[in-house]
Amino acid sequence: MKKFMTVALSLIMPFSWVFGSPLFSEPTQDTTGQKTERPFVAGGYYDKPFVTRLFGRTAIGGYMEALWKLERAEGVNEGPSFEARRFNLFTHSVVADRLRVAAELEFEHGTEEIKLEFAFLDFEIHPALTFRGGILLSPIGRFNLTHDSPLNNLTERPLVSTLIIPAALSEVGMGFYGAFFPSAESRLTYEIYAVNGLHDGLLAGAGGTRIAEGRGAFDEDNNPLPSLVGRLTYSPLVALEIGASLHTGPYNRYQVDGIQVDDKRNLTIAGLDWEYRQGTWDVTGEYARASIDVPPSLRGLFAERQHGLYTQVNYHFGRGWITMMPRSRFAAVGRYEVVDLDADIAGDAIQRFSLGLNFRPVEDTVFKLDYRTDLHWSRVDVPKRSVGVNFSVASYF
Amino acid sequence: MQGRLTVTRPFMVGSVILALSGMAGCTALFTGPVEEGETFDQPLPGLTRAQQLAFARGDEAFEKAFSVKEGLGPIFNQPSCEGCHAGDGRGHPRTNLIRFGRNAGGVFDRLDTEGGPQLQERAIPGVAPETLPAHANAISVRSGPPAFGLGLVEAIPDAVILAGTDPNDANGDGISGRPNMVVPPDWVGVPQTPSVGRFGRKAGVAFLFQQVANAYHQDMGITSDVLPNENPHPVNGTLGDDAPDPEVSRATIDDVLFYLRTLAPPKRGPVTPEVKRGEQLFQQIGCASCHTPSMKTGTHPTIAALSQVDVPLYSDLLLHDMGPDLADNFVEGEAGGTEWRTAPLWGLRLVGDHLGGTHFYLHDGRTSDVREVIQSHGGEAAQARTRFFGLSKQDQDALVMFLLSL
Ligand code: HEC
Ligand code: HEC
Repeated sequence: MKKFMTVALSLIMPFSWVFGSPLFSEPTQDTTGQKTERPFVAGGYYDKPFVTRLFGRTAIGGYMEALWKLERAEGVNEGPSFEARRFNLFTHSVVADRLRVAAELEFEHGTEEIKLEFAFLDFEIHPALTFRGGILLSPIGRFNLTHDSPLNNLTERPLVSTLIIPAALSEVGMGFYGAFFPSAESRLTYEIYAVNGLHDGLLAGAGGTRIAEGRGAFDEDNNPLPSLVGRLTYSPLVALEIGASLHTGPYNRYQVDGIQVDDKRNLTIAGLDWEYRQGTWDVTGEYARASIDVPPSLRGLFAERQHGLYTQVNYHFGRGWITMMPRSRFAAVGRYEVVDLDADIAGDAIQRFSLGLNFRPVEDTVFKLDYRTDLHWSRVDVPKRSVGVNFSVASYF
Repeated sequence: MQGRLTVTRPFMVGSVILALSGMAGCTALFTGPVEEGETFDQPLPGLTRAQQLAFARGDEAFEKAFSVKEGLGPIFNQPSCEGCHAGDGRGHPRTNLIRFGRNAGGVFDRLDTEGGPQLQERAIPGVAPETLPAHANAISVRSGPPAFGLGLVEAIPDAVILAGTDPNDANGDGISGRPNMVVPPDWVGVPQTPSVGRFGRKAGVAFLFQQVANAYHQDMGITSDVLPNENPHPVNGTLGDDAPDPEVSRATIDDVLFYLRTLAPPKRGPVTPEVKRGEQLFQQIGCASCHTPSMKTGTHPTIAALSQVDVPLYSDLLLHDMGPDLADNFVEGEAGGTEWRTAPLWGLRLVGDHLGGTHFYLHDGRTSDVREVIQSHGGEAAQARTRFFGLSKQDQDALVMFLLSL
């Protein structure tokens, strides 16, 4: 709660300055940029750069998502229910020409879960070389980097991008990114960072290996070696982009005070993603596979190999059908996906097929109606079918 | 005009088509209910509202997989009951557990100080799993038996089971069923006098409550109000795990106990003429001498559905010498190294549905072929086996069809 208050306050502060400044503060700089007056507390609140120098160069925005959902398995309904899924705030600040600080604060389910999704500094040395440091979105797969609800045409995130690549995966680290342009049409990009990596939590759950449970080592790494994460994309034409990514490094605590207490165990996730646009159609998708070193005493219970795939087709239509909203449009969506949560046994897998229809009154706001049917195989390979319906709203602001 | 949504024709037509197809597809697009009596996880009929609630709680607890944080281990076999009793049916051979001991010179030693009688081959991070002591020579590999119908099994009075015994084979049919008379440990809270064991592959346990509390403790490393101390590690002694003891309450044990007591056996499949014929043969060739088609419960004090009903379990719940093929050399109470409790045959037709399509039979799930099961029947069942393989191919098929109708 205390953490929440501080964070919330720091976000509200810029506004309080706007309203409060004529009453409470005096100009602190003269035309030469010299301080003419002592601040109330040097380095204190009214002496902060966003008050004294950066105002107008910090933007605030965000997105929200709420939904109505119904799930049904074996003739029994789960729900219906409403869900306040996300409320996210972005800030972006141009500190100087080549220096930017960006952050995203996520509130999930009201204030049940609050997370600083990213908070990094970018220092652009050259378009082909920008330094990034802080809490950053790990460039593993395309979806992790583009997971905002208003961007996606279906309510649910792809399974492979949440279970194998644990979107949203943000980690603390440092590295570089940049772009090259081999020809007028084509582009190559790269991102590469050293990060703390994931932790033992991925084997701490009860249901088997769950990579998402190993997220979140923001204070310090649990072992002396960083993990590496990187993504390369190649786009031969504007309409097509293919990406390949890798996340690799030790995840467990194998050394305490310099003493080896366990074997070093690695987690490696490799991903391949694609996006193709052609007129009113586009196709996106992602494949990822993970290999996890599991201690011998837990093998057979926790998966050592997992993989999954999704591919999604979006068809955009109906621009201007609603004459009152000339910029409005519709999209029909189909997605097929499979994940195998234990590639060494026959069961423990999910297959999902989703269909959706959505309406965007404006580009940044979307109403989505979607239906999905799942087949979920238990660890002894018994299939169970379930279906779900969502109606959701999501908007950037 | 202002404020009114005006839409074009294609949009109208589109929405109408969509709405109509939506209505037509409703039943196919949404899942239908499970058929009554076709799965292993349904309650007995006639439970009160309060009993249904206890059933639902027990169901949840039975399915719950424990994480390390929640107290799994330090040494364990699997993290959930469901893990070894899939869909409340039997376990997959992958989740088999091992009991071990040393059987030499007519003396059996459970090797208690070396981790016996159960091998916990898994351990939480930082703890070494158990390994089999080199001199253990009685190694019993067991898969979880089905979990349904056990309240009915428990409600059969001792006297009814004892009426089926024939320890000296007085009737000369080569079959001499005897009970496993076991004295429950004091924590079960019942008089410590010999009772008819009926649970477990060798009928080593007389009370369902004992089976449940022990399963938490031995199979999952979960301590409870009933058994509050962790299962000691054979090498490192008493080790803790990540959760304070007890890790589950007496109430949870009671919920699971109630759940198991009120889990209904599945319905019988269709009785075709072939199945009828098979049933007759099953009687004639002596299978039913051990696989007793039905026994009757006594009067149950709290659950009406368990009182005075026939229990079509196809077992006499007695021990039989089954010969060398099935022997494990492991001694449990009065059960010797070649003896097993007659396996109940109810629900046989649905075994595969609960194990991804494969039927795994016998105490270790070693085969999926009913003929191989019968082939492995030796000892007291040798005569019945011989008679079975003396039947015409058609009669053999009919008998198998009968088994797969249960
Ligand atoms: C590691 C696998 C495993 C786990 C986990 C497990 N069981 Fe079992 N269960 C077995 C095996 C194997 C047997 C047969 C034991 C024997 O032969 O003594 C059994 C027997 C039983 C029986 C007696 C069934 C009969 O027909 O005789 C009951 C009841 C039972 N288990 C309940 C539970 C409950 C409740 C849990 C969870 C608290 C549980 N089991 C967890 C493997 C398991
Ligand atoms: C002497 C007693 C006896 C006789 C006679 C007998 N059985 Fe059995 N049967 C058993 C026992 C004990 C088991 C459990 C053996 C084991 O799991 O190792 C068993 C197991 C089975 C099983 C496997 C059940 C399961 O859940 O995996 C089947 C099927 C079976 N018997 C069928 C038959 C048929 C058919 C006959 C007649 C040809 C027959 N039995 C005769 C005692 C007997």
